[in-house]
Amino acid sequence: MTDIIQILILGLALGGVIALMGSGLALVFGVMRIVNLAHPSLIIAGAYIAYWGAKLTGIDPIVMLPVAAAIMAGIGVLMYRLVFEREARNAKYSEMTVLLTFALAMIVEGVLGGLFTNTQRVTSPGYATDAFFLGDLFIPKGQLYAGLISLVIIGALSLFLKYSRLGYAIRATTQNREAAELLGVNVNLISVLAFAIGIGLAGAAGSLVSFVFSFFPAKHWEWIAMLMSVVVLGGMGSILGTVVAALLLSVIAAFVGTWVGATWSTMTFFLALFVILLIRPQGLFGEKPEMA
Amino acid sequence: MSELLQVTNITAGYGDGPAILDGAHLTVEPGKVHCIIGPNGAGKSTLLKAICGMLTIRKGDVVFKGKRLNGLRPDQILRAGICFVPQERALFPKMTVRENLRMGGFVLDDQRELERRIGEILERFPILKERADQQAGTMSGGQQQTLAMARTLIIKPDIVMLDEPSLGLAPKVVQEMFDIMKMMSAEGVTVLLVEQNALIGLKNSDWGVVLDLGRTLFEGPASTVLSDPRIQELYLGGKKAA
Ligand SMILES: Nc1ncnc2c1ncn2[C@@H]1O[C@H](COP(=O)(O)OP(=O)(O)O)[C@@H](O)[C@H]1O
Ligand SMILES: [Mg+2]
Repeated sequence: MTDIIQILILGLALGGVIALMGSGLALVFGVMRIVNLAHPSLIIAGAYIAYWGAKLTGIDPIVMLPVAAAIMAGIGVLMYRLVFEREARNAKYSEMTVLLTFALAMIVEGVLGGLFTNTQRVTSPGYATDAFFLGDLFIPKGQLYAGLISLVIIGALSLFLKYSRLGYAIRATTQNREAAELLGVNVNLISVLAFAIGIGLAGAAGSLVSFVFSFFPAKHWEWIAMLMSVVVLGGMGSILGTVVAALLLSVIAAFVGTWVGATWSTMTFFLALFVILLIRPQGLFGEKPEMA
Repeated sequence: MSELLQVTNITAGYGDGPAILDGAHLTVEPGKVHCIIGPNGAGKSTLLKAICGMLTIRKGDVVFKGKRLNGLRPDQILRAGICFVPQERALFPKMTVRENLRMGGFVLDDQRELERRIGEILERFPILKERADQQAGTMSGGQQQTLAMARTLIIKPDIVMLDEPSLGLAPKVVQEMFDIMKMMSAEGVTVLLVEQNALIGLKNSDWGVVLDLGRTLFEGPASTVLSDPRIQELYLGGKKAA
């Protein structure tokens, strides 16, 4: 029994981080129908910001989180203006963005490799290797903090989307772009803003990831399937769905990892993506498949 | 004649594409219900989109309360007092009825006033009040159309333009939608609608506009248009009027 609770705790903590990693992807898809395959590589860029902040100035990666988020949000604005805005009128927009973001992912990886080499990195604040002990249970502090902070950020994002005027505009644009425009929403501005928030979330996730996983520029390929399965299961664009899916899949992966074998743990996400697309392509919270 | 909106011989199309409208005109008088009829593909929806600023007007004029609207953005035209409800999907399906109404007042800055007006609308439309916290997309077609129309009233517009508000609704429900339009016009909101079913549309309107191949064939009092032999002719071709 203790075993099961132990695995559950580890799965949930990691699931929180994965939820944050996926939430930016979900937001960007929801509002702009951009399938951003470059999202994981941008998380790695965020992780490098936290890493160098810690290495050069000794700043804690959690303290670096808002900095990484702001820098990445700025990069998001540039990316949107340079790459996506001009494609926005293309009828095959969603399909186009798959190719575009695939290329972007390779570019980001190349730039990071050129700047920082392919050495594995990890930030190591004291808590990253520390743990709480509750009787027989042990809770690694790094994963716990990262998971909790992720859920707090997602909670704040949800409140923002639910109650603020900009949040209304973002949700309205997601659900019916034309109607939003007709009611006076500046949908282009909202698109840039949502994209910036999405990439900012990649930066935030990156700072947390920097002490939860070791990383290097090409690591993002491992995360794409993981994040895609979370976002697809969550219903392509639903933030709440993404969180539920991340927690669920992460817990399953934790059990698989313990009882079947560590290699199979990552396979959980690949298999899940495959199975979801076959039997319930609209995910947990989505409606009929509307990806075309 | 004191027209509220005057469209004179406009040419417009999508992007750089061919002109879809060429020689479309229409007159809108305050407080009346106006109905644009014409065969499928005639350019009825395009005409409403041109008036509300979604398309660039290449030639001709749209004059509203004595001011030219040509070249203004949709939000500017909305603020000027013209509200457009596009065909079919006008709502935010995953937002609640109340949230949809709140979006209807997105251009209002005074949030307390907005909440007050939402309260007013909910009082006026009991069916919406009952479902205020229900997702719009889960309501019946008639209820959704009622919400789309009620939502326009939040900004107290001069003109409400409705693109095929009866689409996909049962005949009994269609009549309810027209009753709401008549109520709106009785309160001074001018209605301009597009209707596939010429007979039903004209019977429920004061003014009729016949559009074909992107230009206005003729316009006049609905009863005159209804009895015009050219209407019978136009609808004897492919599409029947009723
Ligand atoms: N978004 C669009 N882009 C290009 N052409 C369009 C678009 N929408 C409509 N059209 C064309 O404009 C013409 C008139 O369409 P529309 O105004 O929708 O007709 P109606 O509403 O009278 O049925 C049609 O030939 C249609 O193909
Ligand atoms: Mg039409």
